[in-house]
Amino acid sequence: MRSGANRWLLVVLAALILIVIAGAILLGAPDRKPEPALGDNADRLADLPQPAMRARPASWYDPPDADQWTMQLGDPSGTRFSPLADVTAANVGSLEVAFTFDTRNARGHEAAPLVVGDTMYVTTPYPNDVYALDLTRPRPTVKWHYQPRPLPASQGVACCDVVNRGAAYDGGRLFFNTLDGQAIALDADSGAELWRTKLAEINKGETITMAPLVAEGRVLVGTSGGEFGVRGSLTALDAGSGAVVWKAWSTGPDSDVLIGPEFRPFYPAEQGEDLGIHTWNPDGWRIGGGNPWGWISYDPELHMIFYGTGNPGPWNATQRPGDNKWTAGVFARDVRTGQARWFYQSSPHDLFDYDDVNESILLDIPWQGKLRPVIARPSRTGFFMILDRLTGQVLSAAPYAHVNSALKIDLETGRPVVNPEKMPRPGRVTRNICPAAPGGKDWNPSAFSPRTGLVYIPHLNLCMDEGEIDTNYIAGTPFLGADARMFAAPGGYRGVLSAWDPVANRAVWRIREDLPLWSGALATAGDVVFYGTLDGWFKAVDARDGKLLWRHRLSSGIIGMPMTYRGPDGRQYVAIFAGVGGWSGAIVAGALDPADPTSALGFVNALGDLIHRTEPGGKLYVFALPG
Amino acid sequence: MKRAAPLLLVLCGAGCGGSQSVAGRDGVQGALIGGLFDVFLWTTAAVYLFVLAYLALALVRGRRHRRDRAGAQGEPAAQAERIWHIGLIAFAGATALILAGLTVATWLTDRALAEAGDAAPLEIEVIGHQWWWEVRYQDPVASRIVRTANELHLPAGRAAHITLKSTDVIHSLWIPNLAGKQDLIPGRIADLSLHPLRTGVFRAQCAEFCGLQHARMALDVTVETPAEFARWYDAQLVPPPAPTGGAALAGFALFQNRQCASCHAVAGTPASGMVAPDLSHVASRRTIAAGTLPTTRDNLMAWVADPQAVKPGNNMPKVPLTEAELAALGAYLETLK
Amino acid sequence: MSSRSPASLLLLLLPVALGACDRETRDYRSRALQSTDRPAAFGGNAYHLAQGQRLYAWMNCAGCHAHGGGGMGPPLRDDEWRYGGRIDQLVATILDGRPNGMPAFRDKITEDQAWQLATYVRSMSARTRQDMLAGRADEPANVEPPVLDERKPVRRVTPGQDDATEE
Repeated sequence: MRSGANRWLLVVLAALILIVIAGAILLGAPDRKPEPALGDNADRLADLPQPAMRARPASWYDPPDADQWTMQLGDPSGTRFSPLADVTAANVGSLEVAFTFDTRNARGHEAAPLVVGDTMYVTTPYPNDVYALDLTRPRPTVKWHYQPRPLPASQGVACCDVVNRGAAYDGGRLFFNTLDGQAIALDADSGAELWRTKLAEINKGETITMAPLVAEGRVLVGTSGGEFGVRGSLTALDAGSGAVVWKAWSTGPDSDVLIGPEFRPFYPAEQGEDLGIHTWNPDGWRIGGGNPWGWISYDPELHMIFYGTGNPGPWNATQRPGDNKWTAGVFARDVRTGQARWFYQSSPHDLFDYDDVNESILLDIPWQGKLRPVIARPSRTGFFMILDRLTGQVLSAAPYAHVNSALKIDLETGRPVVNPEKMPRPGRVTRNICPAAPGGKDWNPSAFSPRTGLVYIPHLNLCMDEGEIDTNYIAGTPFLGADARMFAAPGGYRGVLSAWDPVANRAVWRIREDLPLWSGALATAGDVVFYGTLDGWFKAVDARDGKLLWRHRLSSGIIGMPMTYRGPDGRQYVAIFAGVGGWSGAIVAGALDPADPTSALGFVNALGDLIHRTEPGGKLYVFALPG
Repeated sequence: MKRAAPLLLVLCGAGCGGSQSVAGRDGVQGALIGGLFDVFLWTTAAVYLFVLAYLALALVRGRRHRRDRAGAQGEPAAQAERIWHIGLIAFAGATALILAGLTVATWLTDRALAEAGDAAPLEIEVIGHQWWWEVRYQDPVASRIVRTANELHLPAGRAAHITLKSTDVIHSLWIPNLAGKQDLIPGRIADLSLHPLRTGVFRAQCAEFCGLQHARMALDVTVETPAEFARWYDAQLVPPPAPTGGAALAGFALFQNRQCASCHAVAGTPASGMVAPDLSHVASRRTIAAGTLPTTRDNLMAWVADPQAVKPGNNMPKVPLTEAELAALGAYLETLK
Repeated sequence: MSSRSPASLLLLLLPVALGACDRETRDYRSRALQSTDRPAAFGGNAYHLAQGQRLYAWMNCAGCHAHGGGGMGPPLRDDEWRYGGRIDQLVATILDGRPNGMPAFRDKITEDQAWQLATYVRSMSARTRQDMLAGRADEPANVEPPVLDERKPVRRVTPGQDDATEE
């Protein structure tokens, strides 16, 4: 009797222990959330803004010709919004593949295709081939194929994969850049080359990856090479001839930077003569970076363009004392002359590779009772910045990502208050710097919907450890002087899609993604937001509350930008590139070794699992509702 | 051997004079430490003499005592004993007083050293490398920052605050004429205050064994008048003149296109290496290779021809050059003033 | 005799122990370059390996190849070599560059430095003697010192396989 009771007691105890162990194993297991079921993956943080308090497009904003998609950001104000509304939150669930196009290129595909009339234009990463697809047939065929044949050696000086961010269409001409630094114009009908202008010297580490913007007959092209000590410049070419109209350097004397009497920066730190020299150690500006490799927006009323400059070189900040003007900031320039109007430096004496090249979305926001023209910038520093479009004054700044590298933005001076604990020191590793080197968000552009007044930001949730070491400038080799290792920021997830109210400067809802988001976003008048993930899920969420409405797994990870157009058959199509790569996807596209945490400038440490979750290969997917 | 000992002592005396002297009082810090040294020296010398005299007295007295009272042990007189007691107590008291006095003197000197800084000292960063010194003069205007190597110029009468760093192993900066020594430790930031009083040329030496060429890791320190210093500083801000003349021009091309530019920097040219001495004004320095050779054209050429012969184990490789190339480089390097 | 023989034997063996006093020479005059068997003269020498490790940082190799895992350039820790993994092939790659982006370092470093660099690069993937490896990594990120293990094969999963659980 007694022994029987004891036995039962033992059994119960053993069961309890087993349960505890099983629980511990389950809880301690890597936080690999299964893909959520449709509908329930957004954190709602605030109410949608009231119509009166919503941000709206610039007063002159003219909805682009909805049927076409002629530039990477959709329109000159950079909204990535399409007025097409056939695909709605109600019917997006039945989207299906209409056709695909294989580029037979295994590197990162960051571009969006363009659609003009009955033709789709597809650009690829190096070797930068261009295809024109005839959309009038049910299974589109190649109308023409253009091969610019860039120099193979350019692959060796392309920081972070050999990507290309696409073409721009204007007036019957297609403009795009090659990795080895040529701007090329093609006849959109025939694919015949109209002109090509060489703007970069790869032996000095200069490349071009950005998508040009065409404004007032000028093609605007910026250099890449912030990791090679390339002195950045933005060049305006004549759209008809390819001749250089003006060229604005990002460092050096005022005459090179095109700073003249029209230059009226808001803050005293930007006022003074030849700051592009005096805010550098002697000669530092000659190899100082500031490459405008990101997005350019254009205000036709002010005749102004807005663009950001990249990180100063080298990464090692102690090697380049001073504010390092005019790197890591935003320029407003007169598109006709190139003369600078104002400049705002979001990361003076940049410590952590916070390029300021992200998109500038031109909006009008209700501000103290009036509508105020602003540019909205989800900045790489992790702060969502609202700058006055006319003066460059910081109206508000709030972190949209996890930030500890700066304590706040001082609205008096416009400068970030740097966290002294995160100041790098030579010979030491600075731990847990947030955001990491790719910033709160890297190049991948957000979308703005006038229907909700929200900006949809696909961004990152990463931190890093970084150490510095003196580095030699050797032309054509990397100029870094730093070792980084990235990892997930608090929460364990690595990507976020934030729906941001730029008026209240706060998130309305937020979707946590396991993997960093490296794809652009697209918002449509059907109240759907599209984006993709590194493991190949193309997703549609409700623009109002973030509810996941539809998803589709593509053959490779997504780092491209979704776009939408109306086909010759009258149906709305949604297109996206699969093709993992870029800085984040380099581990797959470049077959890097996850055992070395510093691979791909430290990104691999945060993404070692990606090799098990996707494989390389470029393929365009075009979706439509069932006919 | 015994005869050689005094000779060796005389050799030690050589450390008390000249450009590298522990007895130098050429800076506030050096003078303070020197003053303390004097207090210690004279006090301990006095004590030493007193003890020796006392010993001699005791020997004399003891011998007399033994002679007087040979064979008999007797109690000393009560009065004599009292004197002995008082003497002993006075002796112990004097010892305690002297030790306390020296402690106070040390403490006062230490305090004075700590307070010897200046409200607006010259900010200088000195970085130790195997086996040379990098010197960076800080300035709030970044473009006025000066980077040089193996030479330290200081204005007399102004304090200098030196931040010490190391990129590889532990070094130690010791300018005996001006101040005590301070270690340069990788991953840490140490500092040292200098306040030179007199102009002059001094020699500093790495004072912590740092590898094969530890002995040839010297730093030329020039203390000059504020006007001279300002002139020198402004000259450092100007890039060296562009080379003219065939040989120098050829040397310039060699410098830029061959191995030199990978590691060395010359202001105003594409050469921007960081890991080796900045050569912008190398010909204006007194010595090359961290105090190893006087700066002459022949020495520059000898150094470039085979650095491993001059300073075995250093990190500069022997670059294969023809005689003509070597001469051209020598001609170019000589223009870097 | 029998009692003394182990002691005398030990005494005889003692000079052999002196062999341990032979330190590896620091070949800073690069005599290895004159050797008829350069791969052995460089590859088996800790001094050359350490110099190569220093040059790897000084010549910005890490910017592209990281600490062997790659980035802009291919990984160096594995046993896959586009242009050959023998030390002399690596020296050729370093000195003359390769068409798809590897820059030429001839005239940026000397020939013996190229051999030193190649020695270090080889040590990332080849099983170098433990006593030759540097005791610590020089780079600031405190990455582990050079590896002795070869790279593990990467298991790839086609996305389609995951799909089975969806929809």
